[in-house]
Amino acid sequence: MKTSLVTSAVLHALVLTWALVSLGSPADFEVADVEAMPVDMVPIEELTKLQQGDKEAPKAEVPSVTPTKRPDTVENAENVGENKVDIKTPPKPDAKPSNNESAAAPEKTEKALPTPDPAKEDSKEITEEKPASEPATEVASLPEPKQEVKPDPKPEEQPVEEQPAENPEAEALPDKVPTPVAKPKLEKPAQTAKTPERKNEENKKEKKKASSQNESDFNADEVAALLNKTDPANGGAKSGKTEKAFGASKTTGNTLSQNEMDALRGQIQKNWSSFAGIEGLEGMILTVSFELDPQGNIVGEPEVETTGGSETARRTMIGSVRRAILKSLPFQGLPADKYDSWREMVVNFDPSSMSIQ
Amino acid sequence: MEQVGLAAATTDVTLWSLFMEAGFVVKLVMLGLIGASVWTWAIVVDKTLKYGKVRRQLDAFEQVFWSGQSLEELYRTLSDRQTSGMGAIFVSAMREWKKSFERGARSPIGLQMRIDRAMDVTLSRESETLEARLGSLATIGSAGPFVGLFGTVVGIMTSFQAIAGSKSTNLAVVAPGIAEALLATAIGLLAAIPAVIAYNKFSADAGKITARMEGFADEFSAILSRQIDEKLQQPRQAAQ
Repeated sequence: MKTSLVTSAVLHALVLTWALVSLGSPADFEVADVEAMPVDMVPIEELTKLQQGDKEAPKAEVPSVTPTKRPDTVENAENVGENKVDIKTPPKPDAKPSNNESAAAPEKTEKALPTPDPAKEDSKEITEEKPASEPATEVASLPEPKQEVKPDPKPEEQPVEEQPAENPEAEALPDKVPTPVAKPKLEKPAQTAKTPERKNEENKKEKKKASSQNESDFNADEVAALLNKTDPANGGAKSGKTEKAFGASKTTGNTLSQNEMDALRGQIQKNWSSFAGIEGLEGMILTVSFELDPQGNIVGEPEVETTGGSETARRTMIGSVRRAILKSLPFQGLPADKYDSWREMVVNFDPSSMSIQ
Repeated sequence: MEQVGLAAATTDVTLWSLFMEAGFVVKLVMLGLIGASVWTWAIVVDKTLKYGKVRRQLDAFEQVFWSGQSLEELYRTLSDRQTSGMGAIFVSAMREWKKSFERGARSPIGLQMRIDRAMDVTLSRESETLEARLGSLATIGSAGPFVGLFGTVVGIMTSFQAIAGSKSTNLAVVAPGIAEALLATAIGLLAAIPAVIAYNKFSADAGKITARMEGFADEFSAILSRQIDEKLQQPRQAAQ
């Protein structure tokens, strides 16, 4: 037995040594030399929406606005221009004549003020316009004046645009332009470019004559536009980071993505407590429309319309929905550059299934 | 990421490092199983040699026994040396025969019974030596995998605890622990499989050898019974 035990031990020692030597390190897996391929999830909206760029510039892969000479000072600015402040005046394709116009605006007001008729109206307009020269965030809180201003400059733009083609003087100006643009104060524009002022004044006079013979019944909105001392074309502080490239004058079709909508829904849903056991919820739909400011806070009160369901249930649900929305303010995660698309929100509540569309 | 993963995967995975990195319990299990394997093979070597020897002795004895040699002479040659197998059975039977006749046996039936008893006892003793240690083979064969599995379970348990501690589920982190744990099962199977095979083979061999010896014992018992009858008839004939 002893001999066989020794034999066995020796055999084991031999086998173990062999195993340690030959089976010791198994061959590593040969990993094929494949490079990792980055995959991006691209939402379809990126392809469908119009993106802000320069209409005259050559086409490039990514539309880009004209780069300004000064670096951006305002984050998330929406409008193109050389200003330090993002001002919500609609951008114009050609900066030079509009610049002149802005220079003209204060002059005009000075002349307009002595006229007896709209002194009160003027003061109102001025108070409304003042926020426009304040930082971008503040400006955004008053979306209404922006809308009012919009339609008016447009008729003015057309004659202004035509003018530079006729006058070589206007074209000669561009180099000097940027400095006054940067400071939309009252004094400086008066000193610079005097000739365009006259032309603008003439334009406006002509226009006024065309629109209404009486000076007394002039359009208040027009005055508002005139009182706007900031340059409409170069009002914004947004700047392209690359060479300017072909694109629309404004980014449109910029709807909220599904994720952003889901996030919004989630914020409301979180604060929407259900009323289990209420009768008459069948087929009831509550449509809530409200307006948001750029910070995601509500402007005014949410309007609730209901269809279907019983009267008592409606009343309860209107209160519940209203509370849910007010409780979830301010809405988080809404992209600032898509403010146009979420400024006015319409949210449908379906109480029978506790779902929000 | 890939670089990190590959670098981690190329850590030492030799058998020795796997063993050294294993926990205390797993190491103990592995060592025990290696010991069991050594013991199994010791028994295998021992039994192979022994059974071969026993078979050769049986053949030689049968050749001598059936050669027509006188039983007295054979007894005389065998009685003064260590015998095993059929030789031992023959010697025990002859010893009983001698003792009975030297004192003058009266009853043939009693003598026959005593001789059979003596042969049975020797036979059982012989088969006992033949089957000695086969039981441990059976035990190793059946318990080895379980012991190995125990080591594996403990090893995997500790490696999962380590994973929970390191908060990484990278395969390179998980793999060495599981490999070392599985090594315990591998050693368990390595010890158990030969043990089971050897147990089956040796128990069958032992059965065969025992059957052969039983056959011889029966035959010898028949021969002795014939002899007893002849011996008892001789005095009667002489008396008549």
